[in-house]
Amino acid sequence: MAKESETSKRKADIKVVIIGDACVGKTTFIKRYIEGQFTENTETLGACFYLKQWGPHNIAIWDTAGEERFSGLNSFYCREASAAIVAYDITNPESFQRLHERYIPLLESAKDDCLLCVTGMKLDLEPSAKFRVPSSEAEDFSARLNFDRYKNQDRYRKPFFETSSLTGEGVNEVFEFIFKTLLTNGKPLAPQKSLVDLEKTPQPREKPACC
Amino acid sequence: MSVKAFELVPAVERLKLLGDKTKTSIECIECSGKNLYIGTSDCFVIHYLMEEVTQSNGKVTYISEKQNHKHLALRKPIRQLKAASALARILVLCDNVLSLLNMFNLEPILSGAKAKGITSFTVNDNPRHGDAFSIEIATCAKKRAVQVYVVTEDKITFIKEVAIPELPMNLAVDGFCMCVAMETQYILVNYETGAVRDLYPVSSQERAPFVRRIGKEFVLPGPGIGVFVTPAAISERPPIKWAEDVHGVGFSYPYIVAMDSEFLTIHSILDQKQKQTIPFQNGSIIGDFEGKIFVASSKDVYGLIPLPVEKQMFMHIQQQGGFIKFGEHQLIEAKEMFKGGKLDVRELICLFPNLLPSSSDFTRAVPFLHDYADINQIVQGNPERLQECRAFLLDYLEEIRGSESSAGSRMEIDTALLKLYASSNPKKLNEFLASENYCSLSDSLETLNAHKCYHAQGILYRIHGDYEKALNIWMRIQDEELKDPSFPGLEYIIQFLAKLSDHELVWRHVEWCLQKDPELTVKIFTERPEDEPPTERMRPDTIIDYLHAYPTAVIRYLEHLVFQRKLEKESYHTHLAVLYLNEVLKLRENQSTQGHVLNLARTKLRHMLQQSNLYRVQVILSKVKETDMYAECAILYGKLEEHDKALRIIVHKLQDYGAAENYCDINSSGRDLTYRRRLYQILLGVYLDPMEGKKDSLLAPAISLLNSETADFDTVRVLQLIPENWSIGLVKQFLRHSVENNMHLARTRKIQNSLSRNENLQVKYQMMKQRREPVYLSEERLCQVCNRNFVEPKFVRYPNGVITHTYCARNKTICPVTGKLFSVTKET
Repeated sequence: MAKESETSKRKADIKVVIIGDACVGKTTFIKRYIEGQFTENTETLGACFYLKQWGPHNIAIWDTAGEERFSGLNSFYCREASAAIVAYDITNPESFQRLHERYIPLLESAKDDCLLCVTGMKLDLEPSAKFRVPSSEAEDFSARLNFDRYKNQDRYRKPFFETSSLTGEGVNEVFEFIFKTLLTNGKPLAPQKSLVDLEKTPQPREKPACC
Repeated sequence: MSVKAFELVPAVERLKLLGDKTKTSIECIECSGKNLYIGTSDCFVIHYLMEEVTQSNGKVTYISEKQNHKHLALRKPIRQLKAASALARILVLCDNVLSLLNMFNLEPILSGAKAKGITSFTVNDNPRHGDAFSIEIATCAKKRAVQVYVVTEDKITFIKEVAIPELPMNLAVDGFCMCVAMETQYILVNYETGAVRDLYPVSSQERAPFVRRIGKEFVLPGPGIGVFVTPAAISERPPIKWAEDVHGVGFSYPYIVAMDSEFLTIHSILDQKQKQTIPFQNGSIIGDFEGKIFVASSKDVYGLIPLPVEKQMFMHIQQQGGFIKFGEHQLIEAKEMFKGGKLDVRELICLFPNLLPSSSDFTRAVPFLHDYADINQIVQGNPERLQECRAFLLDYLEEIRGSESSAGSRMEIDTALLKLYASSNPKKLNEFLASENYCSLSDSLETLNAHKCYHAQGILYRIHGDYEKALNIWMRIQDEELKDPSFPGLEYIIQFLAKLSDHELVWRHVEWCLQKDPELTVKIFTERPEDEPPTERMRPDTIIDYLHAYPTAVIRYLEHLVFQRKLEKESYHTHLAVLYLNEVLKLRENQSTQGHVLNLARTKLRHMLQQSNLYRVQVILSKVKETDMYAECAILYGKLEEHDKALRIIVHKLQDYGAAENYCDINSSGRDLTYRRRLYQILLGVYLDPMEGKKDSLLAPAISLLNSETADFDTVRVLQLIPENWSIGLVKQFLRHSVENNMHLARTRKIQNSLSRNENLQVKYQMMKQRREPVYLSEERLCQVCNRNFVEPKFVRYPNGVITHTYCARNKTICPVTGKLFSVTKET
């Protein structure tokens, strides 16, 4: 019995990683989704880990470090990933360029049919930005990345999103898309929020009715 | 959260260890039980015995004493030491050679137990095969390979080798899985299959790559972080942040202690957060040995002692961890953590709606240990899971019940247990309630009522001292007003009343019980606690009066008084005898009475009449005489010493000659021989009385009586009684027996006579001897008692020659000077 539970320990149904250049806002993006609010974060060291319950499914979300010096480790943390959020800064074309050069190769250790969601960050800064990564270019990139997955389908929802962690726009959609695609064949499921996060101090809340 | 988890305590003093050899430094340490081994740079292995001492202020210190040392004569540093206590050996790695030493005297084992070409090794604490008398080790070879050996008491046996792409630097092993640090890459090697998996590159800053097994995972350094790796080559825990130059870790659950050149940094693996840093300059060695962490610089060894205050924090973390596990439905781990963290169990109870008693003053700890509102949020409506969770709680409560840590929440624990039992296991519920418990009354009653556990309700009332309500409920169950199959029945109520010290309450319920079962009810009075002080309300006469309407009950009670308590009071005995008699008479009147029932009643009566000497015989006799109960009549006459009448009844009415002889025997017991002879004489007279019955019809019993072994006769009187016309043949045996007996008696008397005369002669001789010596009484002679002169010729002389005044001799048999006792016979 002890052995059984040992093997089931932290056993997540799917593993989702987020990769992308330093400072594109990967940690902020994930915290927006998990905590529902905008946070300012500094450099992630190595990696960060969240466990998310989506219906009956356990999802492990790994936040990786964008810094160059962790690239060796990132490939290790991407191992066996079922989905990857390929993140770039909409207002920083260089971060989009680097995806192809530096970050997509990290996903070699991920599962063969890994779903790659190309996700633009910082949509709220777009109006004031000098440059913008064109949506069409990113969308085409996403189609190329997932060519094998969708090669038999003519029309499909391309795994491409533009989001803002500040306003929350599009953030949930990315995760919902991934979970639906991988877990329920595109059908929706009312997710329950029952996440356990060690880093978060519990909010004071009402006394349970039973006491 | 930063806490003080450990304290650094010196284990071996520098002077003791190395003396003044300044160049020598510590290369490695090993600790097993109380044994501390140190390997030095100049090839010494030193053995210490180390005692952990807790001082009065709670501080822990080490007292270490050097036992022994051994120089391995290689001029090379001792690289690694590892004790294998089961084998009583130490594994020593020196100059790339692994060898064995005796654990206690440090003598090398010279049976060829050596392995060469090894740069480092590690013991597999979780070997997949092997036995208790061998250990499995994994080694880094001096070539591109890792190896496995098995070490026994006197052998190091090579098992396997797996080739790897680079030179191995360090390794850890769990099961078949080796985690190996190579020059540029960390890899996992399965030595069973030979499979090699890359993990990630060794970063250039790292001085000495290391790997360390932690439970079922490995921890290895990344750039400024510690990375967890499972045997599946993935990570299931976020990394730990630590300094760039960490070069060793120790593990004491749940803490990882990382050593860099300036600090020891302590993290919890439960939340990956840093808990404490301890400054420690130039630390070179860190290791955990059976849960204890030791660190060493080149000259000193320190122990890391967990602090009690920290323990609290650690417990807090364990508690949180327990709830996480609980939320993930990993109940075994959850239980361990709850226990380890000494969780206030009410935190757990309050997750279950309605289990916490309303009288509890418990509120959840702030900050909250978890985010769950209640159990339903955890099980998400899954009834099986809910059931498992309840079973888990029950199990957990049972386990911690009565432990020290649960002392403050006994009421909550017991009430919750009661509620859980009530819904699942009524049998256990009653057992549970019968033992000492602290259940909250109002809450429990409600629950028990809801689950129709009425008997349990009664028990609960009883525990809380409300005997009246308890009795009330039980009576209602007995009357089948309430239904509870677990109720043991009327006897239970009786037992309870028998032990109840509130006599007033007892008396109020006696009537109800009597109506149910009078005989059982008597137990209320007969089975009272022995140490109960006698009271007016429990006086036997009061009880007898009360029971009056229930003859069977009275009989039972009187039997108790007469036979068990052996009260010698005439009225009880007479009363009991009369009741027995009435019972018999009643049965006799009733035509349909079965024989054995009557027999039993009469046996009881006779037993009573025979055994007791206290009842009023006349009262009974007057009633018995009117009937044909001859046996009883005979006993009664016997009691009146009217043996002739008694025997006549036995002989003529009952015609039971055996019984007649028996009568003589019984009634003469404890009396002298003449009385006995008189009884037998009477019996013989009855047999031979020509006036009664048919003549000669009793010849046979008379003869058999005469020839009986037990009977006793005065021969002369018997001969006078025997009719003249009897032939000598009839009484031959009796006569011969009598003659023999009398002869024997006469001869015995003669011997006695002679012996006595002889004794008398001897005494006389003694007296003569004593008297022959003259006693001179002069003026100078003083009384030996009062030291005064004798003024008259009378004196006393004791057999030992002591002379005193007559009035100074108080006791003729005791010498007043020496205290010697003279026997009375010699005096005479």
